[in-house]
Order: sequence, then structure tokens, then C-alpha cells
Amino acid sequence: MKAQSVTKAKRKRPRGWFTVLEVSSPVLAVLFAMLVASIALLAIGKNPLQVYGTMVAFCLGRADSVVNILYKATPLIFAGIAVAIGFRASLFNIGVEGQYAIGATCAAIVGFSLKGLPALVHLPLTILAGMLGGALWALVPIWLKVKRGVHEVITTIMLNHTAYLLVHYLIAGPFMDKTQVIGAGGAGSPRVRMPEILASARMPELRGFLESLGISMPQHSSVNWFLVLGLLAAVLYWYFIWRTPLGLEVRAVGHNPKAAEAAGIPPGAVALKAFLLSGAVAGLVGLSDLLGYFGYFDIDFPKGYGFTGIAVALVGRNGALGIVLASLLFGFLSRGGLGVQVLERVPMETYYILQGLIILCIVIATDVLRRYMRAQEKREEAAADV
Amino acid sequence: MFSAEMLASAIRLAVPIIITGCGAIYSERSGVVNIGLEGMMIAGAFAGAAGTVFWGPYVGILVGMAAGVALALVHAVASINFRVDQIVSGTAINILAYGLVRFSAISIFRMATTTPHVDSLPKVTIPGLAAIPWLRPIFANLSPLVLVAFLLVPFSWWLLYRTVYGLRLRSVGEHPLAAETLGVDVYLMKYAGVLTSGALAGLAGAYLSVEHTGMYVEGMTQGLGFISLAAMIFGNWMPAGAMWAGLLFGFAQALSLRLVAGTIPYQFIRMIPYLLTIVVLAGWVRRTRPPATVGQPYERGEAL
Amino acid sequence: MERTDTVLAFQGVTKRFPGVVANADVSFEVCQGEIHAVVGENGAGKSTLMKIATGLYQPDEGQLVYRGRPVVFRTPGQAIAAGIGIVHQHFMLVANFTVAENVILGAEPPRRGLVDPKDAASRVGELARRYGLRVDPAARVEDLSVGEQQRVEILKVLYRGADLIILDEPTAVLVPQEVEELFEHLETLKRQGKTVIFISHKLDEVLRVSGRVTVLRRGRVVGTVEARGTTKERLAEMMVGRPVLFDLKRSDRPPGEPYLVLEGVSATGGGRTVLRDVSFTVRSGEVYGIAGVEGNGQTELAEVIMGLRPVSTGRILLGGETVTNLPTRDVRRRGVAYIPEDRHRRGLALPMTVWENCIIGFHRSPEFARGPRLVFTGIFTAVEEAVRRFDVRLASLDSPVQNLSGGNQQKLILAREFRGSPKLVLAAQPTRGLDIGATEFVRQQLLDARDRGAAVLLISADLEEVLSVADRIGVIYNGHIQAEFDARGADPKVLGQYMTGARGQSAEEATPGVATGREEGGRRAS
Repeated sequence: MKAQSVTKAKRKRPRGWFTVLEVSSPVLAVLFAMLVASIALLAIGKNPLQVYGTMVAFCLGRADSVVNILYKATPLIFAGIAVAIGFRASLFNIGVEGQYAIGATCAAIVGFSLKGLPALVHLPLTILAGMLGGALWALVPIWLKVKRGVHEVITTIMLNHTAYLLVHYLIAGPFMDKTQVIGAGGAGSPRVRMPEILASARMPELRGFLESLGISMPQHSSVNWFLVLGLLAAVLYWYFIWRTPLGLEVRAVGHNPKAAEAAGIPPGAVALKAFLLSGAVAGLVGLSDLLGYFGYFDIDFPKGYGFTGIAVALVGRNGALGIVLASLLFGFLSRGGLGVQVLERVPMETYYILQGLIILCIVIATDVLRRYMRAQEKREEAAADV
Repeated sequence: MFSAEMLASAIRLAVPIIITGCGAIYSERSGVVNIGLEGMMIAGAFAGAAGTVFWGPYVGILVGMAAGVALALVHAVASINFRVDQIVSGTAINILAYGLVRFSAISIFRMATTTPHVDSLPKVTIPGLAAIPWLRPIFANLSPLVLVAFLLVPFSWWLLYRTVYGLRLRSVGEHPLAAETLGVDVYLMKYAGVLTSGALAGLAGAYLSVEHTGMYVEGMTQGLGFISLAAMIFGNWMPAGAMWAGLLFGFAQALSLRLVAGTIPYQFIRMIPYLLTIVVLAGWVRRTRPPATVGQPYERGEAL
Repeated sequence: MERTDTVLAFQGVTKRFPGVVANADVSFEVCQGEIHAVVGENGAGKSTLMKIATGLYQPDEGQLVYRGRPVVFRTPGQAIAAGIGIVHQHFMLVANFTVAENVILGAEPPRRGLVDPKDAASRVGELARRYGLRVDPAARVEDLSVGEQQRVEILKVLYRGADLIILDEPTAVLVPQEVEELFEHLETLKRQGKTVIFISHKLDEVLRVSGRVTVLRRGRVVGTVEARGTTKERLAEMMVGRPVLFDLKRSDRPPGEPYLVLEGVSATGGGRTVLRDVSFTVRSGEVYGIAGVEGNGQTELAEVIMGLRPVSTGRILLGGETVTNLPTRDVRRRGVAYIPEDRHRRGLALPMTVWENCIIGFHRSPEFARGPRLVFTGIFTAVEEAVRRFDVRLASLDSPVQNLSGGNQQKLILAREFRGSPKLVLAAQPTRGLDIGATEFVRQQLLDARDRGAAVLLISADLEEVLSVADRIGVIYNGHIQAEFDARGADPKVLGQYMTGARGQSAEEATPGVATGREEGGRRAS
């Protein structure tokens, strides 16, 4: 037995340069993906450097772009967290798409139908409705996975398609806003949408608060308090995963459900909780657009946040800070895509090509890095085992 | 309700599922999960239509298959050589396919979501059976790809169970280390499985655009890639099983198209295939036996 | 035995992996027609060396000389082509293929790319008959007994025309009778001109069957000796580097009250009955050892006690309280420590850190968590203490546990489970894959727990371990405790008979009307 003072020595964190590698690998992967995407640009006769240059200038050189990036990043933060919670439990929640559609539906219904409530009550209630809707839509896939071993990927994708159809029906059918005034302001036919959300359920913009701090905001762009909520959610997510017993259980089940089971942690129950939590967060994804900008739910509601959320979670490596940064990155790419479409006539679809490429490069880079680090650590452990 | 027209419709709708389902079997039997089949179908649908616009249906369909193979190659490199999570890789392929197809559509045709109308392959009529009047709808004026689909099933069975290639492929999905110690090239077999699944998914996509609809329309695959995976599971990773499952789903879709959209809103009718898939998986997955190491990355000479 | 020419020579072979040198300058020769044993404890480098000889790895330094010529095998195929075959310790068989399919895989008879099941079966059957290896070529491998599966592995090797056959720990999974049969097969092979390399750590068998023995220790060759001229003790000493005295200390205090009681416990799994009417008692302060060949219900027994598998009939009592079918968490809360037989699968979450693995299962106890908060000061104090007490050697508590050696991983599991002074210790194959030092440590820990008054249930396929650690022994066969013995004075031969079902209750007797469908009375493979 070694009579060794163990306290400080044994809690040594991995060396600094490990962290540098960990941080730089996603960055390098993204850059490499952009390099590959350049091939597509070259194929249509565009100069990649010029395109990327325009993108950067457009996004960072204009105040309204910066604000817009923050606005676009907000739903992605929630989507990334939702997917990441699933990943922590080794579950793949591709259903964020459908979950946020249903969540937005529930929030919209609560938002326009409960009249006479003060905002202090109505808004939180609406948000809660969104979370509940998302969690509900996540229930069937996780139930089937835990009880019958059905892989959640196929069921969630099926439910995504189902959600689109259901939402379409609800918007165009029973909940269609028939009180719209035709002809006012140039509208030729009624929009297919639900009634407007009451003012008491709308999320205020950050404009007022920022201007009171002396920061002036560009005229036509907006970002709302959901951004702050998103950052708060990221902090809560970090705390949940790393500082709570349930978070430990989620990670244990994610890494080795059989060992967790033998230790007395019920894998099915933990997976269920994690996935429902993921669905609840997913329900928040559409609320920034719904309650903070549009004010009504229509069939052209933005789609695709769910898939981008997967990319965000992977680029951010399931970490809270990473997810926030990755959301900003994809907000940047999205805004930049608009910019280069207008200014350089490059199709916006490059955005999706980049997304797919980034995911691939990230996971490859992560895997290569992990293997390398493991070899290093093994060397250290073997040295200690004398 | 069980008219010949109905069956004919069911068969036509089942074809992409059968083809992709058989393709999925090749991939999964070699141990690689291919969630990216949907993306490969999309790519095949577009590439098939685009190819037909320029070079006619025969070449067009081959172009569609090539598109599927190209995407499958990406998936294969990521999953096999780099051993990344196969589901993540497949999802990335789907996103990539969506973007690439739109991008190509705009670049070539100036329209993001459709291509022009295309000619299809010359139709085939089966003699004898087509002469029987009440069977005529099923056996007359068929796309040749329908025949390909149904011939693919016994051919796949034969390939998997009566050839050296099939034996080795299956061994790689069940116990890759054992196969490697006996000199089987595990990586090569996995590549073969994945690329075959990509080619077939591309073929199915090309069938949808060139043969079935007559043009490419965004979203025309509507989740068929995933439904094909469900068909594969339901069919217990056997070609014949996938075929029956495909026919079941095809029948459900045919039925849903014929339901009078009066009392039930049409959105709910269109939900039927998706909900049916969930129900089928929920009921059946316990009775199936996937290849033992499906989804697990393999490292050469992996220590025990 | 004539020593004519050298079939295979290792010359200065060195192989390195991250953090460890598996083989260091290994040199020895294997002669034609001999049975040459290679011994060493776990981690000595035997498996790596054989993987080099069979083309799975290539040496970093040194070379192999096969039949007088230096060779490098870059793939298993090349080694096979040269005439070297290996029967692995963990069988490389595709479970749902037939025997014939497994044998011909990779070397299919040339029929223009086609596989004809009937033809394959007849070829394999012919081969089996020629070498006296009784097995049905059309049977599915997952339905065969362990001994039969081993015959399939040997057939694979012979089918490819191997002249040099390597057997890696072949007797680890066999009962005494099957070991005899294997030795007969080896003699047959020797008569037919084959050369055999026999890897084992069972020194009795090594001395019986082999001509010469090469001893490896920590990757190096200690020496090559004649089997006739040496003893078990001498070999053990060479393997470990010091005189080996398995000197376990135990107190003489008589055992206390019954603590763990099983009454008529039956359980099913995978459509068949895995535990039949199991009844036994373990008292506080005693070690009850379950002896038996793997695959007879040991895994399932541990699972039903821990609440990981449902019991269909019968009762389990802990200290008088019925705990049948309780969730695992509740079982553990009653002071039950569990050392699972597969530490990678059931014991540890490999990518998670040492400290996390050390508190799993106890992470909600008041010293570690208050409400939704984890209390890190409490956690780290406890973990440091436990790590020190159980001599777990590591660089950092934050390292992923998969970087630790097997021995340290097992010690960590002990540190975790024993921290709370458990009243029942369930240890399944606790020393599997551990070197001698760690093995000694673990066995002593079990005895210390016993001396502290805990009831210890030891499940082990290593009969020697059961005999040396347990106070009482129960032999399990076919999911049923066939007989119980006092450890002192127990006769291994008699135990072996119960372990193989040669004596004791057969399945038909236990459950009338339930046909087992097996004529040999052999065991199911796990």
C-alpha cells in the first residue's frame, strides 16, 4: 500500500494541450467542410473566397445582420440542447422537428384562446404549453423504445411527417382564423393561419431593455427575450448534466445501460425522463419565432430547426457552451446564405450542403481525436501502475 | 375494394419499398446501419429525372443509381474507415442530399423543387397473364422496374444464401472478427453492402421520378427510405419478408389514396403509412433477429 | 518423441501498444511433432504472441522463422496459407451459421462462387470422421455444447490444412471429461504429424500433455524447459518471479445465521428454463461457492438475486426479508454488494471517470447528494479513501476508467462495493482475467468480508478458486444445484462428475414432461 497524499495530485485535470485539441478540432472540421463546399461553388462558376468574403462582410459588417444572427441562433440553442440531452442518454432525438411543431401548435392555441389573463400568467402558461406539447410528442417513441425495443429514429421520423400533416390540418381546419380582413394592406386572400396570439402571450423584444442600457438597435431587426431564456437554458442544461444525480444517471445509462442497471439505476425510467425532457425543450424551439416575432402560427412556419439542432449538438459536442457557439455559427451561416444569395447569386441551399458536410467532418474529427487521446491517456495510466 | 386496379396500384407503390428494402438488407447484413437511404432515394429521384432529361430513361436511371452510390460511398467511408456513429452519418447524408439536390436543381433547371417532365421506359406487358381480363390491370403496361423489383427478391435470397459472397457478407455482420481471422476482407464486404444499398436506393428513387410520377418533385419520397427500413425489420432481414412488408405498405398507401376524402380530412389519410409503420414496428420488433453486430463499428484485429 | 527440425521459431519478437510492451525480445523454437506449451499469467503476452504468429498483428522488431525461412504474415490469410492454424480461447464462430458454414467460411470449396450446403456438409463430415471429432455438420453452432464448439474450431483449422495448430487456453471452458477427450485428440493429431502449441495457465494439464514448456513473464521469455524435468511449483515461480504461496488468511469463527436463502427458485430466459428449483442457504460469516462450468445458470443466478432478471417461481430471502423480484436499487439498499462477472459489461461505464464509477449506485446517498445537487467534497473524500484502501493504482481520479488495467478496474469495483460494509457479497468470476497479484488480493478481500460477518456467495468456473476460498460448495448443472459439499475434504473428481451431469438430477427428472431434445446429456453452450 502506498502511503501517498492523494488529494491534490489525483484530481489533476487533463493537460492544457488536450483542451486546445478538443476546442480546435470542431473549428478545423468546420473549416474543412467549408473547403469541401467550395467545390460546389466552383462547379457553378463562383469564386469561393469571394463568396465567403461576402458572407463575412454581410454578416458582421452590418448591425442588422448581427442582431439577425442572434435571432436566428435562438431557436437553434433550444434545438441543440434538446438533441444533446438525448445524446447524453445515448438516444437519437431526430423528432425535434415534429416536437417543436406540436409545441408551437399548443402554445399558439393557448396563446390566442385564453382571453383576459395578465401577461405575467399568460406568457409562462403559453411557454409551458409549448413544452408540454413537445414532451407529449416525444412520449410515444420513447415508450415504444423502452417497452418494446423499437428504435427511436424510425418512430420519431414517422411522427415528424405525421406532425406536419396534423398541424396542417389544424391550421387549415378547425383553428383557421376566419376573422381576417381581406384586401386590407394589399392582402389578396386570407392567410392559412391560426388566430393572432394575444398581446398578453407575446414575448417582448430585447430592444427596450438594451436601449435603456444605451445600446441602440437597428430599426428593422429584432431579437427577443427568448435569447436570454436560451442562454439560461444552456446553463441549466450544464448544471443538470454535470451537477445533479439524475444527470449522472443519464450519462451512466448513456454510456453503459447494463452497468447502470447493475448499480441500481433503472435504465428504462432514466431514458424516459431524458427523452421527455428533450421533447419539452424541443417544444420551446419554435416559440421565439411564434411569440417573439410572427405573433401567429401559419403553414409557412419555419421548418428545419430540428435537423440543424442535430448539427448544433454535434458541433458543440453536447456541451452547453459549445451549443451556444455552434448556434451562433449556424445563425451566421444562415444569414450569410441569404446574403450570398442576394449579392452573389449563390443558392441558399449551400447552407444545407454545409450542414451535412459539417456533421460528417465533425464526427470524423471527434472520433480521430478521441482515439488519439485515449492512446495518450493509456500511456499515462500504465506509467502509474507500477 | 380488392379489385385488380387496387392490387396493381399497391404493387406500383410497393416497388420502391421493395427495392430499397432489399438494398437495406445488404447493408445491414454486413453490419452497417443505413439511415441515409432516404437521402439516397432523393438523390436518385432527382438524378434519375435529370439524367433522363438529357440522355433518355435508360441512362437516366443509371445516373440515379450512380447518385445513390456516390452518397453511399460517403457514408461508407465515414462509418467503416472512420467508425463514426452510423446513425449520425446517415442523418448527415440525408441533410446533404437535400441540399445537394436543391442546389443542383437550381443550377441546372433554375427551379429548386421540380424538374421538367420526362419520358419513362417503354412499358412491358406480361403475355398470357395479361390476356385474362380481370387480371389485366396488374400485368399489363408495367414499368420494367416492377419486374426488376420482384426478381430482385429471389435473386437476393440466392445471392445471400447460395453464394460465397453472401456467406462472407453475412459472416461479417454476425461476427466480423471471426470472419477476419479466416481471411475474409471485412472492410471490403461492408463496402459492398453499403454501396449496393445505395445503388438500389438510387434505383428506387429513379423509379419514383422517371417511371411512377414522370418528373421529380421535392418531397416525393415522403419518408419511403425510412419505411423501407421498417419493412426490412418487419421482414426479419430477409428479402422475401421485405417484399411482403413492402406490399403491405403499398397496399395501405393504395387504400389511403382511394378513400373518399369526405368525412376524414385528407391529412389524416396521408398519415396512414406513417402510423402503420409505427404500429407494425411496435408489434413486430420483438420477434425479429437483426444481424448480431449491426450498427457496431469494426476495428481490424480488434482485441477480444 | 523425435526432435527433428524446427517448425516455427520466434526470434527477438517485440510488439508494443500504447502504454504497454506486450512482447519484448521473445525468442524460442517449436519443433516438429511436439506439443509445446506456452505458459504465463494474464497479461504475460501469450495472446499477443499468437496473434503475431497468425497474422493479426505484425512484430515491431524481430521476426518469425517458419520451416527455416523468415516470414511476415500480414494477414490471417497468409498464416493460414502457410499452414498455421489457431483455435482461439474465445471461439470465433458465427452463432447462427451451421457447423459446415463456419468451417468453410473464407475457404469455400471452389464451385464457381456458389455454396452448396449439402456438399459442404458432406466434406466437413468426412473430415470430422477422419480425425475422430464427433460433430453434426448441419447443426447450428449456437445449439452445440461448448466441447462440440471447440471441435468445430479444430475442424476449421484442419480443413485449411494446418500443420501447426495453436490452442489458446483450450481447457478453460471444459470439464474434466472433455479435457480428457481433448488430450486424446491432441495425441491423434500428433500421430498424424501435426505440431501443437498449447497455451494455458493450468499447470497440471500443461505438465501432463506437453513435451516442452516456454514460460513468459511480462512480455519476456523466462526460459524453456522439459515438462518431464520440472514441477508445477517451479513453473509457477518462473511465471511470477517469486515463490507462489497462495496463502489466504481466514478466521475460524463459526458462521452465523442464514442470511441469503433461495427456496425453489426457477427462472426462464430466451424461451427456456435457465434456473430450475434452486435452493440453498448462505450464512453470515461464510463463503458459499457455486462451482460449475459456465453456461449452467450461474449468470442467471446472480441476476435473479440482484433483481436483474425476474423469478418465475420460488422465493429469495435476505436476512429473513423476502426480496424476490425487487428492483435492483432496493436489493442493493439492503446491503448487497455485487461484483459482476463481466466488469466491462456490467461493472463499469468505461468512458466515465474513476470517481463517477466509484459512486455509481450510491450516488444518491446523503453524503454524495443533497436534493438535486451533487456534493463534490463528500464524493472526493470518499473516493480517495476507497482508492487508497483498495490499492487502485491510477494517475488521476478524472481519468476515464477504461484506461486502467484489468486488475485496477476490478479493484475499483471492489472499492465501490465494499465501501459500505455490505452484509451480502455476490462475487461472480471475480478473478477472471487478472494477474496473480490481483487475484490474491481479490480472494483475500472476499475472505476479509467473510471474517467481518458478511455472507459471501462466490460463483466461479475455476474449481481451484472455489476449493480454496469457499467454506461450503454447491455444484450447479443445468440450472439446478445438484449437490452440496463441505469445501474441506471435497473430492475434485466427485465435484467434476456433478459438474458434468454424470451424477445428479438430469433435466427430465427435474421437470417431468419437458423434453430437452438432447441425447448426449451435454451442456448447453452459453
